[in-house]
Amino acid sequence: MCPRVIHPGHQDGGDLTAARRFRMIMRNPEDSTTFKRPETGIMRILVIVLILLLAILHHDWWWWDAKEPLVLGFMPIGLAWHAGISLAAGLVGLVAVKFCWPDHLDEEEETGKAAADAGKEEAS
Amino acid sequence: MSFTIILCYLALLLFLGIFAGRLLKKSSGDFFLASRGIGPFMLLMSVFGTTMTAFALIGSTGKTFEFGIGVYGLMASWSGIIHAAIFFLIGAKVWALGKKHGYVTQIAYFRDRYQSDGVALLLFPLVVCFVVLYILMGVIGAGRFIEGVTPETFSSDKVTTVELKADIGELNIPPPWKKRAAYNQETGTVTVTDWEGHLTYNAETGTLAATGSLHPKRKGLFMNLSKAPEWKKAVGALVAKAPRGAVPKWAGMAIVCLVVLFYVFFGGMRATAWANTMQTLVFMVMGLIAFYVITKELGGPVEASKKLLANEAKNSRMAREGLIGQWQFLTYCFIPLSVGMFPHLFQHWLTAKKASNFKLTVVAHPICILITWVPCVLLGMWAFGVLPDTTNPNAVLGVMVARYSGEVLAGLIGAGVLAAIMSSMDSQFLCLSSLFTNDIISHHFGKDGISDEKKILLGRGFVVLIVLICYLIGLSNTQSVFDLGIWCFTGFAGLFPILFAALYWKRSNKQGAIAGVLTLAVLETAGYLLSLAEHEGEFLILGMMPVAFIVAITTAVMVIVTLLTPPPDEELVEKFFPAKN
Repeated sequence: MCPRVIHPGHQDGGDLTAARRFRMIMRNPEDSTTFKRPETGIMRILVIVLILLLAILHHDWWWWDAKEPLVLGFMPIGLAWHAGISLAAGLVGLVAVKFCWPDHLDEEEETGKAAADAGKEEAS
Repeated sequence: MSFTIILCYLALLLFLGIFAGRLLKKSSGDFFLASRGIGPFMLLMSVFGTTMTAFALIGSTGKTFEFGIGVYGLMASWSGIIHAAIFFLIGAKVWALGKKHGYVTQIAYFRDRYQSDGVALLLFPLVVCFVVLYILMGVIGAGRFIEGVTPETFSSDKVTTVELKADIGELNIPPPWKKRAAYNQETGTVTVTDWEGHLTYNAETGTLAATGSLHPKRKGLFMNLSKAPEWKKAVGALVAKAPRGAVPKWAGMAIVCLVVLFYVFFGGMRATAWANTMQTLVFMVMGLIAFYVITKELGGPVEASKKLLANEAKNSRMAREGLIGQWQFLTYCFIPLSVGMFPHLFQHWLTAKKASNFKLTVVAHPICILITWVPCVLLGMWAFGVLPDTTNPNAVLGVMVARYSGEVLAGLIGAGVLAAIMSSMDSQFLCLSSLFTNDIISHHFGKDGISDEKKILLGRGFVVLIVLICYLIGLSNTQSVFDLGIWCFTGFAGLFPILFAALYWKRSNKQGAIAGVLTLAVLETAGYLLSLAEHEGEFLILGMMPVAFIVAITTAVMVIVTLLTPPPDEELVEKFFPAKN
């Protein structure tokens, strides 16, 4: 049995499991086989809008005195709504780290390290 | 049994400390920052464990019992949104600056950013004061909790007697208790299978006596021996009066402090990060286990909620009406800002191996909050349906565990709660050690150079002193410490605008920062003094959380003073805001 290798040029990302896709995003946000990266500026605005939307949806006065319906048969709607807000916060976080992550922070670090290594080699 | 399980857990932590200590390189960089080598999963667990205290398990259940399910929206879902945003906007940036300029502490960053010892010297006592308050809550909480979960650990020969003022007739063991208890009519003695003591009722003298230490959970059994109100009153008085045979608060506090000090001192940040990872997993898993066991005993989640909903007198906790104000709910969003200024969390951020390690924390932190809080909030809600309204909110989880599970589970959950307490406490101990060593000793008295070993030794000495002070305060009357708790978070949140300006506002200068810190100190003191006059419920201003006003005023003062004073040097701006190529 050979382990399945995803070739860098492989365009069909459709059969990736969600977990694998998530791991790939975490490891390599630049990998074009998983997603095409839209303009960071637009995505930054989108993430800000999503966070503001979450903050607005958080203030759910419409469920203030509602005990029902019971979501999944046991969770009062007011609690289920806020559990959903927490899940949505995680998803917005995922969008933010995928599209708006300041990659330059690690790049600067790696460039600095590479320059230092090169310096050491020259010195030796 | 409960105490044995807790002791085993503490022994495991000691072992972890020794193991991490073996790997410790003898440098202050490794001791304080684990050589900046922490990976994404450990970073998530450290950060989550540090932000969640015992409140995540005990407080969430108790507050829901008191204020209903709105507690989740108030404290958990706001935290999910705001903490994640802070980790994204502040955490990764702080990490990069720390790595580039070699910062070990938050104070060092502020000193360098504003080129001002004044800012650092103003911040130091304020930050230390808030952290000490935080530690105090943990130390006292741990002592009280251990005392609460270990009754009948030590046997006692003491005989406790109460008088009955009326005849209560004959005693009977009701059917559900017959497997556990037997009543000897001749001697008037009740023998319980899992209890070393005896309960003796003397009808002639009209007295009720218990021999040995008594767990409050026995109250239910004893009360059911007779239906007479006088009998129930006497049993209540007896249980309250009898020795509990528990690990005393002073001993619980001392044990927890010593264990945490041990693994922090031996293993530094590496041990702290490992212990945090383990402790976070422990309290998350234990919370879920408690939920599963109790829910099963309640007939399953659907049945428990249906029963509560049908009970008109008790179902108020399933909504927010009349329990939480709308403005209070909205303005609570300022409290989670405090996380940005926690110095112990700041130090955890600096331990990351690379900036991208923060990604997992940003995404998973709100989910971890969900996993921990939702079960506890549901338990608190259901508890209101089955427990008397007068139950002490902080005891709700303990009472539910005692009522619906055995001693083994009580011990495991006890270990989980202590894990939540200690996972914050260890980071705070280490952080105080680094603040004192790096920002006071090294910076002000270490011009000739202090060896790394000496630095670590001085840091340890300072922490021992602080812990000793906390311990001594903890021995005295301590309720006021918990009342101060919200002011600790308010204080950190009030400092947040200064951090945000330092990181994102080029024009931000030391005059503005100093004005902001001083304003916060004045407002915080005034707010606390005003809150003392409020005897009942949460202290609110116009129905809003005081933190909203404090953050707004601190920000306004900082911005106005900054704009009225000269901008920082261009060189300084270039250092912290380099032009992108």
